[in-house]
Amino acid sequence: MILVIAEQRGGELNRATWEALVAAQQLAKRAGVSSMTVAIAGDAAAAAQELAAAGVGEVLTVAHPALVSYAPDGYVAALAQVIQLQSPRFVVLAHTYQARDFVPALATRLNAPLITDATAIAGAADAPTFMRPMFQGKLAAEVKPVGGGPCFVTFQIGAFRADQLQRGGGPSTITPIAVTIDASAIRQAPEEPFQEAARAVDLSQAARIVAVGRGIKSKEQLPVAEALAKALGAEIAASRPICDSGWLPMERQIGSSGQTVAPKLYVALGISGAIQHLVGMKGSRTIVAINKDADAPIFEVADYGIVGDLFEIVPAMVAELEKA
Amino acid sequence: MTRETLEVDVLIVGGGPAGLSAAIRLAQLQQQEGGDPLSIAVLEKARDAGAHMLSGAVLDPSTLRDLIPDFAERGAPLAAPVERDRVYFLAQSSSYRLPIIPPPLRNHGNYIISLNAFVRWLAGQAEGQGIDFFGGFAGQTVLTDGGRVIGVRTGDRGIDKYGQPKPTFEPGVDITAKVTIFCDGVRGNLTKELLRTFQLARGRQPEQFALGIKELWDVPAGRLEPGTVIHSLGYPLRQDEFGGGFIYAMPEGRVSLGFVVGLDYKDPLLDPHMAFNRFKQHPLVARLLEGGQMVRYGAKALPEGGWNTVPQPYLDGALIAGDAGGFLNSMRLKGIHLAMRTGMLAAESAFEAIRAGDTSAASLARYQRKIDASPVRAELYPVRNVHQAFGYGLLAGLAFAGLAVLTRGRWVEDVVHGEPGHERMQTLTGYYGTRLTALTPSNQTAVDRRLTFDKVTGVHYSGAAHDEDQPSHLLVHTDVCSAICGPEYGHPCTRFCPANVYEIVREPAGPRLQINASNCVHCKTCDIMDPYAVITWVPPEGGGGPQYNGM
Amino acid sequence: MKIAVCIKQVPAREWQPRLRDDKAWIREQDVSYEMNEPDAYALEESLRLREKHGGEVVVCSAGPTRVQQVLREALARGADRALHVEDESLSSADASVTAAAMAAAMADEKFDLVLTGLQSDDQGHGQTGVVLAERLGIPHSTIIMEVQIEGGALRVKRELEGGWFQWIAMPLPALLTIQSGINQLRYATLKGIMAAKKKEIRKVALPAGLQAGQQIVALSLPSRAKQTQIIGGSAAEAAKELVRRLREEARAL
Repeated sequence: MILVIAEQRGGELNRATWEALVAAQQLAKRAGVSSMTVAIAGDAAAAAQELAAAGVGEVLTVAHPALVSYAPDGYVAALAQVIQLQSPRFVVLAHTYQARDFVPALATRLNAPLITDATAIAGAADAPTFMRPMFQGKLAAEVKPVGGGPCFVTFQIGAFRADQLQRGGGPSTITPIAVTIDASAIRQAPEEPFQEAARAVDLSQAARIVAVGRGIKSKEQLPVAEALAKALGAEIAASRPICDSGWLPMERQIGSSGQTVAPKLYVALGISGAIQHLVGMKGSRTIVAINKDADAPIFEVADYGIVGDLFEIVPAMVAELEKA
Repeated sequence: MTRETLEVDVLIVGGGPAGLSAAIRLAQLQQQEGGDPLSIAVLEKARDAGAHMLSGAVLDPSTLRDLIPDFAERGAPLAAPVERDRVYFLAQSSSYRLPIIPPPLRNHGNYIISLNAFVRWLAGQAEGQGIDFFGGFAGQTVLTDGGRVIGVRTGDRGIDKYGQPKPTFEPGVDITAKVTIFCDGVRGNLTKELLRTFQLARGRQPEQFALGIKELWDVPAGRLEPGTVIHSLGYPLRQDEFGGGFIYAMPEGRVSLGFVVGLDYKDPLLDPHMAFNRFKQHPLVARLLEGGQMVRYGAKALPEGGWNTVPQPYLDGALIAGDAGGFLNSMRLKGIHLAMRTGMLAAESAFEAIRAGDTSAASLARYQRKIDASPVRAELYPVRNVHQAFGYGLLAGLAFAGLAVLTRGRWVEDVVHGEPGHERMQTLTGYYGTRLTALTPSNQTAVDRRLTFDKVTGVHYSGAAHDEDQPSHLLVHTDVCSAICGPEYGHPCTRFCPANVYEIVREPAGPRLQINASNCVHCKTCDIMDPYAVITWVPPEGGGGPQYNGM
Repeated sequence: MKIAVCIKQVPAREWQPRLRDDKAWIREQDVSYEMNEPDAYALEESLRLREKHGGEVVVCSAGPTRVQQVLREALARGADRALHVEDESLSSADASVTAAAMAAAMADEKFDLVLTGLQSDDQGHGQTGVVLAERLGIPHSTIIMEVQIEGGALRVKRELEGGWFQWIAMPLPALLTIQSGINQLRYATLKGIMAAKKKEIRKVALPAGLQAGQQIVALSLPSRAKQTQIIGGSAAEAAKELVRRLREEARAL
């Protein structure tokens, strides 16, 4: 059995959980595991319903007063009991900040291996292995879990596509699981989460990015790109020369002396693709390059390329996007 | 602002082969002779020892043997003994292998090394002897007291690009010493200051330089036997241009190759990096590299002037050693052993002077006497005119080189080649008349991103990194640049710089010089070759620069 | 207050990967190493906490002999002494082994606070800190942006995703993994470098029989299989076709 641990905050399901479910389904297929169970801890009735509606497997709700606000000690105590009860072969999660916060402790408490930030599943049915980046993505590693107990795996966000989930025929059952937690043993006392205006633009969190390079020609032409960013719901970014010229602030620079990003969509406008830029964005899921020069290196990493004048193509794209 | 101060007996500026040999020799002398323990400090602008070291490199182990006789037991990283030499004369698509290797290019008994690895090892040896090695500290200015050198001020750290201190600001340190040994390398910024302030080059021929551009490649097994040393003359350079290529084969398919261009060429549109690319495109070289992978890139100027251009290397409180003093044999293409030797001799001179309680110029003049009695003079004096002769063209140069060997340099009169290399560069109209239509390099060649790369890609592979928020460390007299140098020479800095630091950006308001200072690989070519000498290289914040692993 | 800061030595940022012949690890001969950048922020934070609250900063690392370089660097920046679990096998150890090795060496020291970086720039498991806390039996919190200590109580600001944050209180002793950028790193000074030579590096042997949680089967350069689809036609046609493919094929909109 594969146990997927869903994540919620304030009762709202973290979207990355759907990706973890897809990864778990693929792992099940690879490893010949027939059943899947989803566990969700905390006060999350609606999220549990949402998960059950997908019909991918029994949903275990783990409710307890000590789990209402997330604290790693509480989660480790509760989920250790669930796992001991269920004896899954794999425990799967999305590699979120919360997973990073408690899963290493949970796996250690159960004396079980944990593989983090996996991007793909490989290996044989009886011994699946996992691909994960190492050395900041300079290398891909195939790793195999060692030791007994369930194997914990966290999957990189974006590595699997939520829309590839194979839904079941009908809704799954929801089963509450009782756990005993000594509230006084939870040492972390969390306060209410709050949002803060980011001090700097954090492009690494952007789902879509429109980046401009020298092909934009002058600062006055930036609105052409900004219109596309607006139509796509994207952040604006740039290659080094643009920021060096002061047309956009340094914090919007992508590349080896700027930020490293891996959004769902990266549109490179008039960017030739110097290696210093490529190292900062080549991990993007879908890359679009629009450039006059058919020999520009950016086309080597692009999924879609248009060779032509961005000042003609971009407004046409905006018009097309606004049509729908 | 309180400035930290540090007092030592001997300060060595520059942790290359010269500086580290000086440090090790001082520690040895101290051990042998006893007496009050000397405090010895080495300043190095690279964060890690060896990170800014770039050379071919073939090491003549003679000095190493004298300095560290048990170097093999101590694990000196000598990649491969030289097993065979080949010299080729290249034409555009053919090559002619010289049947006899000219004696200066015979490398039997020498080793192919990575200078980066070698210097890292040397630094370990020095630190093992208790030397203080300060990585990430650049010497900014020479401290003087009257006519005497008393030490060095290191650069401030934590200054933003507008010159304002950042929260992490750390003022430079004044390090004073009884003797300061300047080993700041080719065109060292402090040695340059010394030469000017104390007129140490008076009566000498002008310094001459070349630019070496190098790459490290991993090639498929069996391409080139480890221990093979190849040198080339001719293509892609023209008759009156000095330089040539080198290919050194190390174990496990690692190949070091590069191209040297004399920084005294006349054509303002020549691009040394293009020359290197053309060298790689020559069938002889392309065959070797095919299917391989470039792993490192770098560039560095080298002092080519020889004996007659070496400045007075001693003054009150200071000595100059290694490339900073021009101690390099351009005919043998070797300087590491001379850098080490002059470092050792400087150490001995400093030690004796300190023990004698007199570190004046008169006392430190013993350094000159030691050099004159050493293998340094024995090696450099006979070939003192060779580089200058290349000013008359390749064939004349070769003839002189041959003559130098035959006669051991006993000419009655020295060849006088009276102008610094950058003054030989001709203006666009001077060189091209009115034929010129575009300012593209005259030796332009295509970049395929497999065998040949553009400069920006090279910079990536040099590992060059600087804190972006600091003032430019390249001081350019921009008025001369736009009003005079541009129209007359077509901005040659954009071509001779091998790291794309200088770029002319075309804007509606007109062309503008953009300085991409963080690309800089510290080769010093701009400081040397600018026709109006309006570019001054000063050290960026300590720790910045290339990372020449394996170079 | 007695603060431990755990640091790792990793290949320098500009390192170009080269693999060992068996592909199971990198070729270490020609790598130059540096302090794991996230750990540098943890070190800086520990020095600032010591400046505010007094006490001692002990820098700890598990690795082969070469990690002395980063221990010395930490001592030069101001750490008081160092603890080095030394074993050549630790160069490629996973988080389980590294954390267990550190826990064994640190247990007797009874630290009030243990800081680590967020994750390492080499293997990047992002586990070592949390596993270490579990092994030491102390509470932890991760991805910390601010540390407050008042009267023996710890209050930290933890980063959540998407611009959200949360304050968390917990008793000491505790372990925190520090978010990069929490502070501005100081420079090592000449005096600091000289003083570092006289500071103690206590070496501890690797306990026998530590269990790894995973094994590297093979390392490879990431490959990019996808083919670039060049979209032709007039500007309007190409734009229309591109938007269609982004919607239907790539599902990127």
